[in-house]
Amino acid sequence: MRGNDVILEDLSMNFGDFVAVQPTDLKINAGEFFSILGPSGCGKTTILRMISGFLNPTRGRVVIGDKDMSGIRANARPTALIFQNLALFPLMSVRDNIAFGLEARGISKKVRYAKAEELLDLVALDGQGDKLPTALSGGQRQRVAIARALAVEPSVLLLDEPLSALDLKLRQHMRAELKDLQRKTGVTFIYITHDQGEALTMSDRVAVMNKGVVEQVATSDEIYAHPKTPFVASFVGEQNIFKGKVVGKENGYAILETSHGKLFGQNTHGLNEGEEAILFVRPERMSLEEKQGQQNGLSAVLERRDMEGPFVNLHMRAGDQSIAIHVTNVAQTHQPLGADQKLWFSAQDAVVMRPGELASE
Amino acid sequence: MNSLIKSYGKGLTSIFLGLTAIWIVVLIVLPQLSMIDRAFTFEDRGGAAATLAVEIDRAYEQVFQINIRLDELQAEKDDLIAGTSSAGQQEGASSLNPFAAPVPAPSGGASDLNPFGTPSAPQANDRSDLNPFGAPSVGSANTVSRTLAEIEAEEAPLLADKGDLEERIATLEAEEQATSDTVGVDKSYSLKNFTMMSSVHLQVFLATIGYALCVTILAFALCYPVAYAVATTTSRNKVAILMLGLLIPYAINELLRIFSWIMILEKQGILNGFLDLLGIINMEAGEGFRFVASNGAVFTVMVYAYVLFMVFPIYNTIDTLDKNQIEAAKDLGASTWRIHWRVVLPHAKPGIAVGAIMTFMLSAGSIAVPSTVGRGLHPDWFSQVIYRRFFEADNWNQGAAYSLALLVACIIFIMFNMWVFRVGIRDIAK
Repeated sequence: MRGNDVILEDLSMNFGDFVAVQPTDLKINAGEFFSILGPSGCGKTTILRMISGFLNPTRGRVVIGDKDMSGIRANARPTALIFQNLALFPLMSVRDNIAFGLEARGISKKVRYAKAEELLDLVALDGQGDKLPTALSGGQRQRVAIARALAVEPSVLLLDEPLSALDLKLRQHMRAELKDLQRKTGVTFIYITHDQGEALTMSDRVAVMNKGVVEQVATSDEIYAHPKTPFVASFVGEQNIFKGKVVGKENGYAILETSHGKLFGQNTHGLNEGEEAILFVRPERMSLEEKQGQQNGLSAVLERRDMEGPFVNLHMRAGDQSIAIHVTNVAQTHQPLGADQKLWFSAQDAVVMRPGELASE
Repeated sequence: MNSLIKSYGKGLTSIFLGLTAIWIVVLIVLPQLSMIDRAFTFEDRGGAAATLAVEIDRAYEQVFQINIRLDELQAEKDDLIAGTSSAGQQEGASSLNPFAAPVPAPSGGASDLNPFGTPSAPQANDRSDLNPFGAPSVGSANTVSRTLAEIEAEEAPLLADKGDLEERIATLEAEEQATSDTVGVDKSYSLKNFTMMSSVHLQVFLATIGYALCVTILAFALCYPVAYAVATTTSRNKVAILMLGLLIPYAINELLRIFSWIMILEKQGILNGFLDLLGIINMEAGEGFRFVASNGAVFTVMVYAYVLFMVFPIYNTIDTLDKNQIEAAKDLGASTWRIHWRVVLPHAKPGIAVGAIMTFMLSAGSIAVPSTVGRGLHPDWFSQVIYRRFFEADNWNQGAAYSLALLVACIIFIMFNMWVFRVGIRDIAK
């Protein structure tokens, strides 16, 4: 098995007046674990269906491994789709499920069953071939779906939130398995999800989508540390958000006049003085003790303390603004409720952007 | 039961259960029991005695024939013994012959009156020689050569036969006496109502089962694509329109729906009118196809009449199919045919079974369609035979037996269906 690259050229999709996917150009490398992350209704599934061939794009085209896919139907494309609900055939045995793609290609029973056994081995389900899918656990069904998709030796595997139905523990386990399987097979994985945890942990690269537009394509670290748009900043991970006006800029930093005084942050959008702006800073980058080089400081009252385990989530209030801080649970800490506190964060950890759409909570 | 009491209270629940019990007993169990009782009650309606009488008559007739032959042989024997010839037997024959009667030829004036002027009198006198009736004993010359032994050889088996027949007549008459004593009196439980089914009725019975199967298969072939299309369409409006299109015709009385087909299929009907319009036939010249009273017409109308009972169960099952499975199969490279054969049909099995059972039962028991469209002529439906047994032959027992036979055939079909489709009562109830 070998992966192929997938290129989307000016790809767009309209349903009547509704634009599900704005014209999009995207290159997914061969053998890459690529995720498309976005809230429901952002058009990510539409893109997936256009790649798999179930939808014909309004404009543009899909190219897989240098081959234009226009006019090629779903059953003739080198892609395999894993459905959100898996869509295993409930009346067929696990073995028949896995062998179905080969059966459709007219391969003899002996050969396709041998292949099915091989795949059952790969997904650690050996000996379960005679069972019906309903007799398996959620994680096992998941693996059957993957084995069924891999049986036809696709060069691109499309996954439509296949883990969303699993419980947390199993989901975390399956993430590792999927990643492992992708590395073993070398097939290009395109993974659709609204769960940023899945996208960030598994993917080589992530595309963040909102309202039919791909807002940013980058590695997980890049997306988290250097979001390009307010939507990406607010959708991926948690953020404390301060609104204000740019009053000055120096060395790539902007000075923001807010209701909590002047705050410094990276001027990613190159804003000029007088422009409206928002400043994002992540809860784990704020601290209660002043450290070296932390230019930003503001005072707030501790309202609630949530013990999360590895960290403590402190809910503070500064005027009408609520602020969250994550304090790593490395030493016994105790913060008295209702006490006035001073908060600190460095300008390097804060991002100043032009106002735009934020991800709704 | 407990949940019923919980939600409706004891009073309402007992009323509900009581009404259900009454309904089951009065409207299902009792009539059916009465039907079964009738079916197995053989009431001698004199049919057996009549059959015996006919047989006795036949035997007497045979004895009579033998007697005539024996008399002839006896006469021949007498002749042989007397040694006399049969010559001179013809004397006086011409005078007895009515054709040989001499036409009166009075005055010569008669010939003047004859417009044709044919002198007939002398010719008439000559006719006696030509008369075929005037030579009755031409054959007797052949028998002359037979010996006495030969005649007796023919006589012996005839006598033996006669003896046998007379013996048989005696027993038959005794039997007749015994049966006629019991006519209209003797009612006994027996299988006679079933075993006495004539071969014609049996043929109609088997043909009806076959026809009903044909209708079921036709209905399935028509309904499956429709049900699939309606169930898989994504547009809400389309579903509504298709459903209305299927449902509205069923708001109309069944008989009216059947008669609308008569309007179409009759010789002066719409279909022939259409063919006339196309110039294929000339209706004014009396041309036209008689579509009614044929298998095709009855099947068509029946499929139309019962199509909903096939569409809806199939639609319901396909509707519950996870459409992702169809896409998954497609994505894995399956052809349309394979998707249906491996994914859709297996899922729709319970619906197909229910649809097939309903359509089969309805068409096997249909009487309105065959009598209206088939005109009671062709194809003859078993339900019509049952009707005639009840109300024309006035033999309720046999009618009950016939309808029980049809019921049993239908139950066997249901069992067979459930076995073929591997579905249980539970699946069907769903």
